[in-house]
Formats: sequence, structure tokens, C-alpha cells
Amino acid sequence: MDIDDILASVDHGPGASPESTSLDHQSLTRFWVSERAVSEVLPWPTALMDRMMDRVRMQIESIEDIAASSADAPPPTTHNQNANANHNPNLNLRLSILQTDLARTQYIIRSLLRTRLAKLTKYSMHYLVKLSSTNQNLSQSQSQSQSQSQSQPTPEDSVPDISAIASFDPLSESEASFVHAHQKLLASHYSGSFMGAFPRQLRRLDDNAGGTSMIQGPETREVVFVRCLGAAVPVLVVGEGEQEEDIGVTMRMGDVWVVRWEGVKAAWLKGEVELL
Amino acid sequence: MAFPLPRGITPSEIGFLAEMEMVTVVPRQRLEGLELLGGPIEPLVPPRRASLPLWLALLLKRQRRANIMPPSWLHPEPLNLILEVESQHPDYRDAFSPPPPLPGQPSIRDDGLAPTARPQYTPDGNRYYASPPFLPQNTAQTEGFSSRDPPALPFHWVEMGNMLLESASDDLVEPDQIRRLLKDLPATGGGGVALTGVGAMEVGEERGFLTGVVDNLRKIGASKEQARREQMAEQRANGAYDGAQDEEEEDYMEF
Repeated sequence: MDIDDILASVDHGPGASPESTSLDHQSLTRFWVSERAVSEVLPWPTALMDRMMDRVRMQIESIEDIAASSADAPPPTTHNQNANANHNPNLNLRLSILQTDLARTQYIIRSLLRTRLAKLTKYSMHYLVKLSSTNQNLSQSQSQSQSQSQSQPTPEDSVPDISAIASFDPLSESEASFVHAHQKLLASHYSGSFMGAFPRQLRRLDDNAGGTSMIQGPETREVVFVRCLGAAVPVLVVGEGEQEEDIGVTMRMGDVWVVRWEGVKAAWLKGEVELL
Repeated sequence: MAFPLPRGITPSEIGFLAEMEMVTVVPRQRLEGLELLGGPIEPLVPPRRASLPLWLALLLKRQRRANIMPPSWLHPEPLNLILEVESQHPDYRDAFSPPPPLPGQPSIRDDGLAPTARPQYTPDGNRYYASPPFLPQNTAQTEGFSSRDPPALPFHWVEMGNMLLESASDDLVEPDQIRRLLKDLPATGGGGVALTGVGAMEVGEERGFLTGVVDNLRKIGASKEQARREQMAEQRANGAYDGAQDEEEEDYMEF
């Protein structure tokens, strides 16, 4: 690639280069299929989704422009009848193609977001705790001391405060604020309907008395269908401690396997396997 | 409920993915090039052939604006060959016939050659390896199916075959025979399931069953696995671990 090409693609902003449009479309499709295949929330591809949303917005505008121009077209007079007859049939065809393409993309985005919301509401505490623990800052200690200082702990106190966090990984920013608001509401509902009547020490939602955590997380040991895209990809066999990893089978290019998700997640992040 | 569907994409969504496969069309009218969200569409100039995604090809076909050229594998002869391989060949009698190679993967005839994956790079600098439905596995080859590679069923063969039989059967060569051959194909596998070469719709059908089986095996084996881990940890602590491993518990399975 020439340096001029790089500069040109930067100049035109997102969605300017045709190859990047189709690559982004393929990446989005693959990400959607992956998100649907596993039970955990996958890392939000911020840059990709920003570009896709921009393109969808631009495409809606251009469809509206075309539709408006066809509506505004003056009634055929003897003068421009020929031009219109040549132009209009294709105009409707173009519109229907553009609209179908738009609807297909919107379906993928909608299905992707709703799948993530379903996982987030199901495992809301898990992701809130994850968010606040990856951002080891004052928010954690704050909520801890708050709940201890209060004489009347409520279920709401066990919802981690995420207002000060810097990284939302694996969620997007709006997903993080959604899951926080959702859990706050849920906690206050529990409190009002039954947990308020519980003994004080039983009111937390993140209790792990007796070594059993109350927080349910996604099952990363579930099996998934994968296709190997790299030349050779080893399946990692993850031990109980996160560090010990043995190498299991090695998948070859083009192979389709049923494997544990945790064993291929690293390879998926590098794009060397795809989920089916 | 935010999302009512089960894990994994549904059969109708597999069809939706198959509609992204590129097919060859012969346009019957002109159409200027279009910038779609799925990528640019080349201008249509009859009688020049063009590659379009299947959904667009079907849209044009239904309005009689284009004819679809059948994919190179969707002819009676290659289908007969594949059927023969799946039912006669000792290597594939209990398995799927080999899929079309990915870019950089040596074909079945140069076995022994090492595959070399050829990544593209996304605008974010990540590696991207193309795979179905974004590979030209359903286009009509100019020299017909008798190219160097033996015919192979692409990942979305069930959906592609059914959609073309439904909406473009007049563009197919001997559609009735093709319909019969496609019906015979899935019935050949005898018992075991080796997944390489599996079709998308077959994954969709087997997903619930297979993942259920493997997950239950995992749950049954979980306590054993736990015991084995503890034993291994103990051995390691005693310095007596000699690498001998219990082969009984596999974390992966090939069917």
C-alpha cells in the first residue's frame, strides 16, 4: 500500500474505502454469530461498531434523499418524459435494493444488541462486579465502606458503584450504565418486596457465605462449534488455577470441532478460529 | 425479555447468512453500481456476468431482471461424484466429504503440503481470515466444474441448493435430478459424525443435541475431573509428577 493511499483513506473518514466497508460487514456478521454462540458477553468492538453505526446513519440519509428526489420529480411533461421513463424504473429498484441491504444490516445489529442485553440482565451482578474489580480504584472501597458504616444495610448497597470507572471492557459504555441501572432497580424491588424483612446479614446480593458465591456468571466451559482458520491452532486445556494451561489437540486449517469455549477463546480473540 | 431465542443462530438465520454468499448472475438490464452497507455492488451491464450476493441475485431474479448461473457444484455430475465419494469412499463413508479448501489451504490432491493462512487486515489492524459465506464457493466457474480440484459441497450447500431450486429452478441444469441428488446427500452418513466438511444447516440441526450431549458428559465428568486435578496438584507438590496423564477425561471430542 502506498503512503498516499493511507492518507487518502484517513482523509475520507470512516466508510470511505470500499474494502473497509465489506471487511467491516464481514467482521460484524462474524461477531454477531459469535455473540449468539457463547453464553458470555464478548468484548465490545468499539471502533467497528462506531463505523457501522455511522454508515447506517449515512445510508438512511442517502435513502431519504433518493426517495425525496423521486417524490419531488416534476410530473412528466412532453418535455422531459423520456428522461423520466429512463430514470424512474431503476430508481425504484435502487431504492428497494438499498432498503433491503439496510434492513439486513439493522437486523444483525438489533439481534446482536438484544443478545447482549439478555446476557447482561441474566448475569448483571457478575458483570458489575467484574467491571468494578477490573477498575481497581476508589469505587470499590467506597461502596464497601458505605455498606459497613450504615446501620441498616439494604440490597442496593451490594450493587457495585461504577460511576468512576475508566474501562467498560467487555461492555460498551451504554451497556455498563444500563446494567447498573437495571441492577439498582432490581435490588430496590427485592428490598421493598421481601429482602427488607430479612435479617440484616442476609440482605446482600453478593453474599458468598459458606464459600458459595451468590453471583451467577456465564458458563465458559460450555462447548461451541468452531472452524479453524489459522494454519494450526492448539486447544488449551485450562486448569483450575487460571495460569496452568496444557495444550490439548491441535486443530488444522479448515477443521470443524466441538470444543470448550474457554479452550479456544484466546485463538478467537486473535481471529484464528470462528464460531459457527 | 430482551431476547427469546436460544443460544446459537437459528435455521432461518443460517438461511440469512447463506444469502450473503456470492453467486454469478447474467443481468438482463443495466444498473449502476451501488454502495451498500455490505460492500460495493459492481455496475450491471448485460450480457456481462457479475458477482452479487445471493439475496440481491434472488431479488433481481424474481423481477426477471437477471438470470442466476448455478454454482459450479450444483450440477448433476459433480453432485453424483460427491454422492459417490460419501457413500463409497472408505475414508468418508461415515463422515462428510471434504469441504472446499479455505484460501491458503492445500486441496485434497496436494495432501502433505502445509497450509499457509493468508490474513487480511481490518481497519483496526486485526487479522481477518475470510471464511464462508464470504468466499467465492458458489460462483459459476468459467471453465465448468472440471477444474483441477474435485467438486466439493460448500458450507451453505443445503440453503443454497434449496433457495435456487425454489426461485431459480429454470436457471438450473436438470433441476429435478438435482433435487433428487440433494435429498440423497444427507442420508448417506452412517452413524458417526466427523464435523469437518459439515454444512451450516447441519450444524444448526445438531447444535442442540451435540452441545447437550457434550455438556452432560462434562457435568458427569466434572467430579472426576476435580479429583484428577487435586491428585495432579498433590503429585506436583510432592515432586512426583511424571507427566503420566489419565487419558480417560478429554476436554475436547471429535465426533
